[in-house]
Amino acid sequence: MRRLAPAVTATLFGILLGGPALAGDVDQRALDRVKAPPLGLPPVAIPAGDPVTAEKIALGRKLFFDRRLSHNGTISCAMCHVPEQGFTVNELATAVGIEGRTVRRNAPTVLNAGYQRSMFHDGRDTSLETQVLAPLVDRNEMGNPSLGYVIAVIKGLSDYAGRFEKAFGQPAAVAPLGRAIAAWERTLLAANSPFDRWHFGGDASAVSDAVKRGYALFSGKAGCTVCHTVEDDHALFTDHQFHATGIGYRNAYATSPDDPVRIQVAPGKYIVVKRRDLGPISEPPPADVGRYEVTLDPEDRWKYKTPSLRNVALTAPYMHDGSLATLRDVVTFYNVGGIPHPGLSPVIRPLGLSHAEIGDIVAFLESLTAGNIVELVNDARSIKVGNVGD
Amino acid sequence: MIRSIGKTVFTAAAVAALLSAPAWLAPPAAADETCMSPYMAKITGQEDFVYVWTLGANGIGDESDKLVTIDVRPGSASYGKVVASLSVGGQNEAHHSGFTDDRRYLWAAGLDTSKIFIFDVHSDPAKPRLHKTIDDFVSKSGGVVGPHTTYALPGRMMITGLSNDKDHGGRTALVEYTNEGELVATHWMPTKDDPRGAEVGKVADGYGYDIRALPRRNVMITSSFTGWSNYMMDFGKMLADGEAMKRFGQTVAIWDLHTRQPRKVLDVPGAPLEIRFAWGPNHNYAFTTTALTSKIWLIHEDAKGEWQAEAVADVGDPSKIPLPVDISISYDDTELWVDSFMDGTVRVYDITDPFAPKEKYKKVIGKQLNMLSSSWDNKRKYFTSSLLARWDKRGDDNEQYFKAFDWNGSELVHKFSIDFTAEKLGRPHQMRFGAYSLYGKRADLPTKAEPVHHAAAKIE
Ligand code: HEC
Ligand code: HEC
Repeated sequence: MRRLAPAVTATLFGILLGGPALAGDVDQRALDRVKAPPLGLPPVAIPAGDPVTAEKIALGRKLFFDRRLSHNGTISCAMCHVPEQGFTVNELATAVGIEGRTVRRNAPTVLNAGYQRSMFHDGRDTSLETQVLAPLVDRNEMGNPSLGYVIAVIKGLSDYAGRFEKAFGQPAAVAPLGRAIAAWERTLLAANSPFDRWHFGGDASAVSDAVKRGYALFSGKAGCTVCHTVEDDHALFTDHQFHATGIGYRNAYATSPDDPVRIQVAPGKYIVVKRRDLGPISEPPPADVGRYEVTLDPEDRWKYKTPSLRNVALTAPYMHDGSLATLRDVVTFYNVGGIPHPGLSPVIRPLGLSHAEIGDIVAFLESLTAGNIVELVNDARSIKVGNVGD
Repeated sequence: MIRSIGKTVFTAAAVAALLSAPAWLAPPAAADETCMSPYMAKITGQEDFVYVWTLGANGIGDESDKLVTIDVRPGSASYGKVVASLSVGGQNEAHHSGFTDDRRYLWAAGLDTSKIFIFDVHSDPAKPRLHKTIDDFVSKSGGVVGPHTTYALPGRMMITGLSNDKDHGGRTALVEYTNEGELVATHWMPTKDDPRGAEVGKVADGYGYDIRALPRRNVMITSSFTGWSNYMMDFGKMLADGEAMKRFGQTVAIWDLHTRQPRKVLDVPGAPLEIRFAWGPNHNYAFTTTALTSKIWLIHEDAKGEWQAEAVADVGDPSKIPLPVDISISYDDTELWVDSFMDGTVRVYDITDPFAPKEKYKKVIGKQLNMLSSSWDNKRKYFTSSLLARWDKRGDDNEQYFKAFDWNGSELVHKFSIDFTAEKLGRPHQMRFGAYSLYGKRADLPTKAEPVHHAAAKIE
């Protein structure tokens, strides 16, 4: 499933066409979510001295959807974290930034980002508040010349007049900018999935038998919960650690100019070329050594953060480089033991899952789609995209 | 066949009269390039200038997008030279441009920033001036990104979008402006979810690219390319990205020209790009080519009055992805010219039988090739090299040129070339012709070439 299932999409559109919810309403519901997260999620940690308020949420949402926050007015946070595409991008393996520049990794979802203990696939940042600032001035993402420049732009936009003052008691500045977006992101709590209603809610009819079998395999024979952890009363499906599956290693060493590249030229029609044929029309692919880039410890080469698996059916394609297209591809990847190399996590090994067992695990992963996803998309789309000339 | 090469101005009415005249094959004082809106005033005979909408390139000159004016008047001291260059600031992904129906203004659009630069080309055809910049296209249109074709309708400019501000994917709209630059309406492309009354085939992707009209049949046709993420990104990265490659246009939409309502969505998989209507009074058909599948398609009205799409020929060897890009039809509907990017080759097809185009000539123009402009009399052909900033070839293959040829019916004869890298101009993209005669003007040919002033555009 690349996108939302058609039924879900139809519902989303139906509700969206019903007209935007009243602004105050969405903010209040967002506040309610933070106070009482949906079934399956633990309490949200709020930074000391910075309570989440309706003003901060509304301001953060507006900033997140504002294309004027990039140097040439084309890219907002939401262009790479698209609400209807699981708050990531289903249409790209790796992200595309300002002026089409190459971003080397797949955009992760910002759903439930408030629970992340480190930010990015390599965990190089430590909080939502500081994470916000990175894409704004990253040359390949939003391309602003400096943070001061961004603040000056915001101060010059009449629709922001008084907004920072009201939310933070101070004019627009770098720290409140980060705090505003982080405040809204913390409200994107997506759970109460069929799995949650069954596993934590005790509703045996919430999921199919396939899902139940899949979860037994996930937490048993397949060993997935070693890294994608599940607690007694909630589950984030991540140990917040970094592991090597071999994909990073393969990209660094195990590719050859003779590798075939299958190019889809029309639905169901492919042309196979060699990687070297793409040379004259490609920039050199950027390197990616994973967690090592942060710690400089050779042990950490090609390790990436364990992602949460919540809403994973909505966030294809998968892994830090978007190289696996479907959940079946991912489970099949684990079933063969990942890509063997010296740094491979010892937990990743051939699993001997049958075709049917793989199907069950996929069914389980698909049961992790939040019951409140439509509410979250509506929350996101309650604000008009900010554009030059508004 | 062209009896007169005198210079006259054709209005829309005159063109309509011309088209209904039985002797359409021998227009009394024919017009210029063959791919323009039928509503537009035409140059007859020799064009004076070629305006080249040029992308700024990093490390080249001022790095800014610019409108470059090339003198193509035989006998002029500055023949074959750049006579003006006007920088608009920034790299907007300069792409296509089109004149208003009165041909006094050239609307040149940027696919990235969605800015539209309106140049005054009538006050001094040798030296266009920036008249106005539309920088709120996305806001005004309700979220359309990537203005592409700027197509003249009476008093209006119909602009095709390529993308949108919600996800930078391919869903988009037609956006209609007055010649003065005021938004009239946004017409969203039909989709499967929201066909807007259109009859839909296998898919209705809602994607956009080019637009052409056949007023005689009250028909407007649009084609479909891909969204911002794809046309902006590194070409090799995109081809290798299985997700990205699923997002190419598969449709041609037929519209009611007067009501702007979509009527029918035809299946044309493989990214159909440029659309060219035949000119003959009974020729109810158009051609397009699909970039990825390298096919020529005929879009035609059948005996029952139904519009149909049919693949009628291959371009080169489709398994090598030659990537057909620009096409041009001759005034007498006998030749279709097809440029393909990857092999840098132009191919000429005999389309006397539109259902069976036959390749009759081909020539490698450069290491990469994109746009092609023809004089109406089919005697002069101009080519440029750049496709998209991040799709152009790299290293030595990244030739950036403007080349002029004469066509004698069987062979292209090289006249001159301008190296846009050596001249520090950038990546030349679309070409449009200018002439003094359009505005009742005459200019004496200069006796000596003046050095180019690299002007910065300023709205005066
Ligand atoms: C050009 C696309 C792009 C834009 C624009 C963008 N992001 Fe991201 N985002 C990404 C990618 C790719 C990553 C992962 C990068 C990495 O691991 O190096 C990411 C990571 C994140 C993460 C970390 C999530 C996690 O689980 O670790 C958060 C939070 C986030 N982005 C929020 C934002 C915000 C807020 C903005 C706007 C200020 C923004 N993004 C703009 C593509 C983008
Ligand atoms: C050794 C720890 C570990 C184990 C065991 C493990 N995973 Fe993962 N999982 C990861 C890491 C790390 C990533 C991210 C890899 C990357 O980004 O390249 C990941 C990624 C994924 C993803 C892609 C998520 C996304 O958003 O891209 C899925 C789905 C997944 N794992 C499912 C499973 C399943 C099912 C199992 C059991 C068969 C399993 N994992 C076992 C660590 C683990």
